[in-house]
Amino acid sequence: MRVPAPKIPPQRPAMQEPDGFDRLYRDHVDLIYRYAYRLCGEAEAAKDLVQETFLNAYRGLKDFRGEARVSTWLYTIASRACIRMRRKRKGEPEHALSLEEFVPTSEGEFRLQIPVDGLSPEEALQNKELRQALDQAIDKLPEKHRMALVLRDMEGLSAKEVGTIMGLNERAVKSRLHRARLFVRRELSARGITHHDDHKSGGLRS
Amino acid sequence: MTKKKTAAPKKRAQPSSQRHTHGQGHCMDLLRQLSAYIDDELPSDICREIRRHLGACPNCEVFIASLQQTVTLCRHRPAPQLTSVDRMNMRRAILDAVNVR
Repeated sequence: MRVPAPKIPPQRPAMQEPDGFDRLYRDHVDLIYRYAYRLCGEAEAAKDLVQETFLNAYRGLKDFRGEARVSTWLYTIASRACIRMRRKRKGEPEHALSLEEFVPTSEGEFRLQIPVDGLSPEEALQNKELRQALDQAIDKLPEKHRMALVLRDMEGLSAKEVGTIMGLNERAVKSRLHRARLFVRRELSARGITHHDDHKSGGLRS
Repeated sequence: MTKKKTAAPKKRAQPSSQRHTHGQGHCMDLLRQLSAYIDDELPSDICREIRRHLGACPNCEVFIASLQQTVTLCRHRPAPQLTSVDRMNMRRAILDAVNVR
């Protein structure tokens, strides 16, 4: 499901008005929850991140000049909050992925496949095993690579927008994205996921 | 679910006489550029060169198909929705925190 961010003209949300926060919250809470869930991988942590994001948005409004879209501003706040919250929980620095890690060392590794032939992506994702493998692979990514992949490939933002949110140039975004995709590809293909009809067990992160 | 230019992943491996060493030359160059290729960010002459290589290298062809599938699965992975109760509870918690801090 590639849902582009809503196209709204640059504007400054009028949160000084009593209903200003409500409007900002109403218009963007679903977007930020979706992003938070994809980053955190589970509902409670995602809700914490949403609350932290809107709390920071409320307090940071005076610094918002309307140069970016409101959604970009909120994505940025959420991304920074996520990094802070993760650091508190995990405490240890994460390693960066190097391209060399993904060079297949054998022909078999090169030719690993993901069991989606002949299926639409929606049908393929009915396979619970594949769905879980995808979620786990994304969850295992180092933070900065996961963020690039989620923003670009799941939230559907441009590399330029991702750069604005992450404070990176486009080249750095593309580099992180490429490594993240290679990592997820290897995780998915190396799992030996079987083809089977799992249409009845659809659901998220189940 | 693959794009036209990458849509030939079902072709099986060629006999060993057609294999060549990976980690060198074209295969390594290709590996570096795969995301840019998938995202249509490369000039047309480089794309042509990559397509030519893919036609001659079944391993790279399978590799790029699986990477394209990975991207497609990410794009289609649904995310859950908030319930109206969740939205309401979170709003209240945020406003409470604003008033406390």
